[in-house]
Amino acid sequence: MRPRGVLRPTPGSARLWETKRGDRRELWTEAVGEPPPVYGERWTEDDERQFRLFEPGRSKLAAAVVRGWSGDLPAPRERWLYLGAASGTTASHVADLVGPEGRVYAIERSPRPFARLLTLAERWPNLRPILADAREPVEYAGLVPPVDGLYADIAQPDQLEIVVRNAGLLLAGDGGRLLVALKTPSMGRARSAPAHRDAFEKALVDLATLAPSVPLEPFHKGHFMVGGRWGRYARLPVRERHPPTMRRGRNRGRRES
Amino acid sequence: MRPTLVVGNGPLLYVIGPTTRVVAGPFSFDPDPRHAAARFDSLSPSDLPAGLLAALESLPRETRLLAVPSRTARALADRLRRPVGSPTEEELKVARSAVPSLDAAVERRFLLALGHLRVERALRAPEEVLITLAREEERIERAVGREARAAESFVPVPDSPLDRHAEAWGRARGALADLEEALRRSVESEAKLLVPNLSAVVGARTAARLVAAAGGARALARMPSARIQLLGSRRRPSPDRGPRFGLLYRADRLAELPIGRRGAYARTLAALAAIAVRADATTRRDISAVLVARRDRRVEALRRRRR
Repeated sequence: MRPRGVLRPTPGSARLWETKRGDRRELWTEAVGEPPPVYGERWTEDDERQFRLFEPGRSKLAAAVVRGWSGDLPAPRERWLYLGAASGTTASHVADLVGPEGRVYAIERSPRPFARLLTLAERWPNLRPILADAREPVEYAGLVPPVDGLYADIAQPDQLEIVVRNAGLLLAGDGGRLLVALKTPSMGRARSAPAHRDAFEKALVDLATLAPSVPLEPFHKGHFMVGGRWGRYARLPVRERHPPTMRRGRNRGRRES
Repeated sequence: MRPTLVVGNGPLLYVIGPTTRVVAGPFSFDPDPRHAAARFDSLSPSDLPAGLLAALESLPRETRLLAVPSRTARALADRLRRPVGSPTEEELKVARSAVPSLDAAVERRFLLALGHLRVERALRAPEEVLITLAREEERIERAVGREARAAESFVPVPDSPLDRHAEAWGRARGALADLEEALRRSVESEAKLLVPNLSAVVGARTAARLVAAAGGARALARMPSARIQLLGSRRRPSPDRGPRFGLLYRADRLAELPIGRRGAYARTLAALAAIAVRADATTRRDISAVLVARRDRRVEALRRRRR
């Protein structure tokens, strides 16, 4: 199928593309594998490449981009550790972003979704699934080389500890990328969602340099994308802030024209 | 001084010396990734590569030895008959930086093989078998009900093309019902083995469904009884008029009670079920006689009670 608009590169990542037609903006990742679709997503192609629709409603990473995430995104040739890969919806897109020369080590604890992740990995050449508990990074430290980035989407009350232990042990060093899709509803109801995010960021202040976090509403209720680079004095990427598609405040939830 | 560390990189093992460089290795578990993956997970002392053992034997006796993961450390300690510890995260991180990266194709084959092994082992556990069976049975049961209703509204017309189809449909529906029957029997026998007390209190099929909805007997055992009471209910709990039961609606003896007293029974039953599944998940003691007696007493009390 031909794209409905012109595919343009985005400033965030070399393998992330967008189409704009009128007020409709769609994100696409350049596919590493072959069809059929991984989870029923739309595919399109230009002369030599294939692209998969990256929908904010399905993936928290896409929602973060749409909401104007200014931090790092997975880039070609990087190695990423993905905690909480489930059946591989977002993990397949992260694998697209790092390209055929990159690697995604996907950790998932639950056997049923992992079985689907495994069949996906059979045809997604740069995806490396590992059935393990993200709470025990020492158990899989021998399977994962030092990585350039860590993406965490683990709906657990102790997600902070899990992220910190994994980042400290497995990231290649200071400057390693950190992306955390923070699910505040699974961190208890004693605090509001923004308070949870603030506490999370405060706990990371001495360990990482954080990019401005973005809320993922209205796509994912109570979620935030938090992250930056590992290390207290790491440098953040100097990049134009991605233009937000969704406006905050009065026109919240309405698309910008 | 830094210790000597044995660190793996997939199917390969390296010895990292005190000056953080590779002093020996790589030693492979097995040239075949599938065998290497099997060894990686269920490592016995005899599976350790001979070269690795020789390299470690040649080290001075007072060298402090560390290894990850812990099963490698245990296997080495067993084989070498000397203490092998586990490193701190800082030591491990430093050692990891010395390990060369693995060939991409080898790594892929190894991790896919390891994934297959682990997922097969996980899904072979009796608990996971019960969960799979219970979900399947629940779906097939719905299908049988749906087909039975469809069959009722079908009017056979003699001497029409529909007549021929009707027979095939009947056969398919019969096969579906047979499948349901067989599934139910195996679900019930599995549930009686895995959660005997819970099966006795609420009935084997309901017990299996509760375990499946919770994701395991241990997960169910951690739930409060109020949660068990509403497990599987479709409506949202609410203080004024929420649901009274979810999966427990199909529990033993609930149908014997007048409608107005089923909620009270479900409450008691959930409390007993919580106790039962905790016994099943922890001590494995048979306390079903006590629980069933309490349940039956409650049924009688509710029957006698006037509004």
